[in-house]
Amino acid sequence: MLDQALESLKTYEWGVDPKAVKSIQDAVVASHGDAAARKKLESTLADVLSTDVPRAAKDIVCRALKTIGTAHSVPALAKLLHDEELSHMARHALQTNDAPEAVKALVGALDKAPKKIKIGIISSLGARGTGVPVAPLATTLTDKDAEISTAGALALGAIGSTDAAKALGSAKVNDTNRIAVCDAMLHCAENMLAHGKKADAKTIYGTVLKIGPTKAAKIAADLGVKASA
Amino acid sequence: MTIMKTTRRKFLSTTGTATAALGFPSIIPSSALGNADKPAPSNRIVMGGIGIGNMGRGDHGAFLGKNDVQYVAICDVRKGAMNQGKAKTDAKYGNKDCKAHDDYRELLSRDDIDAVHIATPDHWHAQMIIEACRHGKDVFCQKPESLTLGEGSLMVETAKRYGRVVSGGSQRVLQDYKGTVLRCWNGSYGKVKSINVNVGPMSKPCNLTPEKVPDDINWEMWLGPAPWAPYNSKRCSGSFSTSGNSWRSYIDYSGGGMTDWGAHHFGGATFAVDVRELQPNEVVLDEIDGKKFVSLRYPNGIEITHNKPGVGQMHVGKGEGQRKGKEVPKYAGSGGITGDFIDCVKTRAKPFRHIEYAINTMAVPHLTVAAYKLNRSLKWDAAKQEFIGDAEANRLRNRARREPWQI
Repeated sequence: MLDQALESLKTYEWGVDPKAVKSIQDAVVASHGDAAARKKLESTLADVLSTDVPRAAKDIVCRALKTIGTAHSVPALAKLLHDEELSHMARHALQTNDAPEAVKALVGALDKAPKKIKIGIISSLGARGTGVPVAPLATTLTDKDAEISTAGALALGAIGSTDAAKALGSAKVNDTNRIAVCDAMLHCAENMLAHGKKADAKTIYGTVLKIGPTKAAKIAADLGVKASA
Repeated sequence: MTIMKTTRRKFLSTTGTATAALGFPSIIPSSALGNADKPAPSNRIVMGGIGIGNMGRGDHGAFLGKNDVQYVAICDVRKGAMNQGKAKTDAKYGNKDCKAHDDYRELLSRDDIDAVHIATPDHWHAQMIIEACRHGKDVFCQKPESLTLGEGSLMVETAKRYGRVVSGGSQRVLQDYKGTVLRCWNGSYGKVKSINVNVGPMSKPCNLTPEKVPDDINWEMWLGPAPWAPYNSKRCSGSFSTSGNSWRSYIDYSGGGMTDWGAHHFGGATFAVDVRELQPNEVVLDEIDGKKFVSLRYPNGIEITHNKPGVGQMHVGKGEGQRKGKEVPKYAGSGGITGDFIDCVKTRAKPFRHIEYAINTMAVPHLTVAAYKLNRSLKWDAAKQEFIGDAEANRLRNRARREPWQI
């Protein structure tokens, strides 16, 4: 059944009945706890990504690798990160892949990525939260393109660490990224509060109030100042 | 005296938000809004709507019909729905003032809007709720409020951060299960042990044949944060079908009947057995006579079962001992769940389907789906919002958003 489904990938265009490839998802579930079977399945699927199967087929493969992907499938997925059609689905698999190699692949793809794809990669790094280096995201805060600095700010907020807050504190705020920078700093401050670091949180809230927050962010920061008293 | 001298807008933007976040609801006396049947425009809640087809059309009509609402903006990615919404609004007020937007970000950026209602497909809900809160708007959002487990906590955090009133939109929770709810709450069942919900199906993969994109729809914006896919009328139909003829059938946009009707049924169940403030900590995949079902166990011992063979819809399992009766919570204000929302926008109290209750409810079908999909039982740490000791299950909590969408 799995062999048939893998064969079907070669002609899996938009419009083909998904039942043709259902056995791939079944194999994902059935191989739980069987390391050898998983490794073989992951390897087989990763290999498909370097072939000329249709986009819909690679979409299916990325969805399966989201569940079972390890460091082994990272290189195959990383090659798709600059592909305008497949970058998102590659991130779909990489964003939740626990291997540190997945972070390295995402970070490594940042510099040369076109704008829209770069924003997506930044978003995935933020969504991972832990284990993501702050420095590459801090660099995006200084990007001349305000949409990229906006994405960077939101990602740093999602990470919420002391280093992230520090980077955000030195962000160049403009009308385009103001809401994101404020939100990110508020996010960091809440993280500090949750860890009992009231003084650190209060400092961040104070910074938000100094940078000219939106009305909504000012209310949030005022509330935060009270909460960190 | 201070409140009476404060304008409605100033009140909403300062005092009200602070009191909500601090948990001290404050009431605006009727004098502050005017005692006439129809408050002066300056004292009405200024609203806009995003997603005006199907349920959005109903919500639009409900808010438009309220004397204490001034409706000023419509947004839809379908021109037909957008224009109809504008025409309906303008006809109501006898002017041409309603602004039609095809990009919700324009609507949210308007300083004159206090609150929005959202009735888009589910894959947009988290994005829009979170952005609306960042813009200082109060939000009424149709159910199911979340598409994934991960979105839920982000929505709750953001609403709390900005002191926003955010209400979910299941009118059926209070309406459809009154008898069961009353008997649970007034103690006539004694201590309640369990309740069963029969609902489905789960959503499925979509690979429909590409069709030409009609001029009426902005397809890129319809897809938004969901994976790119070619246009097909069934893929984006807003019909209530969960068997392949609408977006409600497909994984990228919906949890299927499990979350669509599930938002109502599980909402009724969590309300009846009074666990709206909790999330389950154990999801047990079980089997009777070859038929799989799930039991969701709460820290307080209550159990919600899904599709338990031989057990009826909303059947309550009675425990041992008595339960002291409590008054059943109800909507604030008048006019059902939309009236509840408007009243809470004024008072800054928590709405009946407060976003935290909504997300706790939605956790039930999301956890259930995870157990069925992975074909195993799971343990859930509600405080950390993660599965315990199951890395694969944790991968199901979130999905990458298609660029450039980010929350």
